[in-house]
Amino acid sequence: MSGVREAIAGDEADDAMAERVAAGRARKQTGAGRKVLPIVEGVVLVAALLAPLVLQDYLTVFATRVIILALFALSFDLVWGYAGIMSFGQALFFGSAGYGVALLARDLDITNMFLVLPAGTLIGLTFALLLGGFLLLGRHPSSVIFVSLGTLTGSYAADRLARGWYYLGGQNGIPSIAPMSLGSYELSEGPAFYYLVLGILVVVYLLCRFLVRSQFGLALAGLRENEQRIAFFGYKAQHLKAIVFTIGGAIAGLAGSLYAFHEGFVWPNMVGVVVSTQVVLYVLFGGSGTLIGAVIGAVIVEGVSFWLSDNYRDIWPIILGLLLLLVILFRPLGLISFVLGERERVGSFGAKPKEKRNAAP
Amino acid sequence: MANAFVAAFEILSFGAIIVLIVLGLGIIASMMGIFNFAQGEFVLLGAYITYLAYAKGLPIWAGMAAAPFVVGALGFVLEALIIRRFYAAPIVAMLGTYALGLIIRESVRGLIGGFYLTVPEPIGGSLDIGAMHISAWRFTIIVITLLVMGGCYLLLSRTSFGLRVRATLENPSLARASGISTPLIYGATFAFGAALAGLAGALIVPVFSLFADLGLRFLIQGFVAVMVGGVGSFIGPVAGAGVIGTLSAALPWVMAPVVADVLVFVLAIVFIKFRPQGLIAGKGV
Repeated sequence: MSGVREAIAGDEADDAMAERVAAGRARKQTGAGRKVLPIVEGVVLVAALLAPLVLQDYLTVFATRVIILALFALSFDLVWGYAGIMSFGQALFFGSAGYGVALLARDLDITNMFLVLPAGTLIGLTFALLLGGFLLLGRHPSSVIFVSLGTLTGSYAADRLARGWYYLGGQNGIPSIAPMSLGSYELSEGPAFYYLVLGILVVVYLLCRFLVRSQFGLALAGLRENEQRIAFFGYKAQHLKAIVFTIGGAIAGLAGSLYAFHEGFVWPNMVGVVVSTQVVLYVLFGGSGTLIGAVIGAVIVEGVSFWLSDNYRDIWPIILGLLLLLVILFRPLGLISFVLGERERVGSFGAKPKEKRNAAP
Repeated sequence: MANAFVAAFEILSFGAIIVLIVLGLGIIASMMGIFNFAQGEFVLLGAYITYLAYAKGLPIWAGMAAAPFVVGALGFVLEALIIRRFYAAPIVAMLGTYALGLIIRESVRGLIGGFYLTVPEPIGGSLDIGAMHISAWRFTIIVITLLVMGGCYLLLSRTSFGLRVRATLENPSLARASGISTPLIYGATFAFGAALAGLAGALIVPVFSLFADLGLRFLIQGFVAVMVGGVGSFIGPVAGAGVIGTLSAALPWVMAPVVADVLVFVLAIVFIKFRPQGLIAGKGV
């Protein structure tokens, strides 16, 4: 008897709880001010749009580079932050696309924007498909360690190859690439290039945002949190991983081809371990698992290093290492987690359910 | 004939260097299941300490003898303060040790500048065997590597400390229940692995000279060797190091060095893909 009463009491408690949760939900839905992420994204976008108006010319050139690197960071964030694949060799796709478009410009005189950017994207995609397919697919699922060390090794091997191969310019890389062209107009460094790159970043960002907020994104988040369970649900976990890895490679390729034309040269470091780990730094700093975190991370790391490099060039990498260690130990979700709650970081997925909740209770 | 002998000696001495570096990496990977990205920087520190002793006018031998102890002590401290927190998460451990390595590497770069500093060989000259000359110092490295390998093997298989290490490796919770202080064992193992890296750095600095990216050069080769050999045993990484070291040194004799360089990595990754447990599977010595 007492058991039943307890059960009833328990039910009542559950009901009360459900009511509180529902009330909380309603509050959340009406209180639009609680959403932080769109505000952060908006602020970053406005700041990026206004930057060339207030910056001097040489700073606009620097800002363009940062935006390209942010695009690159986005590709790594997609792979690591959303699918949980540690790619220590993301520069392989960045750099090989850079080399690819540099060769197109050098040997075939192709600099048309509408040819070279898709070509770079395709190169990144192909390399990522080959490497990712090899590392991730197969009868037995690969361990995380194998994938991360495999990508690292791939990037290192590409670096050595680029250094030793005369056709690719050896140690010096390929200097003085012709500027990217748009019909007869030549895009050189400056505000035009900046806005082009920013436009591409915004488009890619929105595509990524759509992707990670879709049902596909939900499966990815599940993959990151508990791969086995996702496999038990009937998803082909390895295929999902390979798809994301390939998309990440394509974005890295796009960023790499923009970088090659913006800097005007490519050199072996661009495919190597140095750049691969740099992109890991951006995303860890900013906050992996949020797209805007990757962008912010790239801007902060590059910005501070640019600012400090005049006076503290020698100790900046040491400070960077210390900060990184502190972030890993105490802020594993990155700087963005100071303003963004866990709930919003994880976010919601798929199409919004129709306003059923308010009507139902 | 003489040429073949010289080639064999080159291959053997390079293999010995890789074995020396991989030993520490393999021990840490087997025990704690983490891949220590700072291992290359421990090698660098060993090299730097040797250079420091030489620059201060001390005998080079003294620097070489001190290097493993200093680096080992540093490893012990770092394990207790930082590395310990990473054991549950291998990927975070990679990132954390990478950050540590970055700090050490850039500090050393700041101290030595962007130079290549040379340290003379403590045993100069060459050994003459008939008409052939081989470097006395490289020969010494081979001998020391053999001694260290033998010492490690005896330590792990014959002493009570080794028994406790193996017990912790096999089954940490059972070892803890039997009264073995596993955190202490982990600390000691990490310090030992770091000390081996320090020794490796001290021994190779006369051959490769001292520069800030010295460790990075060997780190990835070391990782690949550990995975080829197989994590979990003492003999696995050594075997892997033997294979990778021999291939890296031997292939350039038969093909273009650029191709050989890349081919070693490609072969290794393909091998690991189809045999994830490595050459030698299983735990134990």
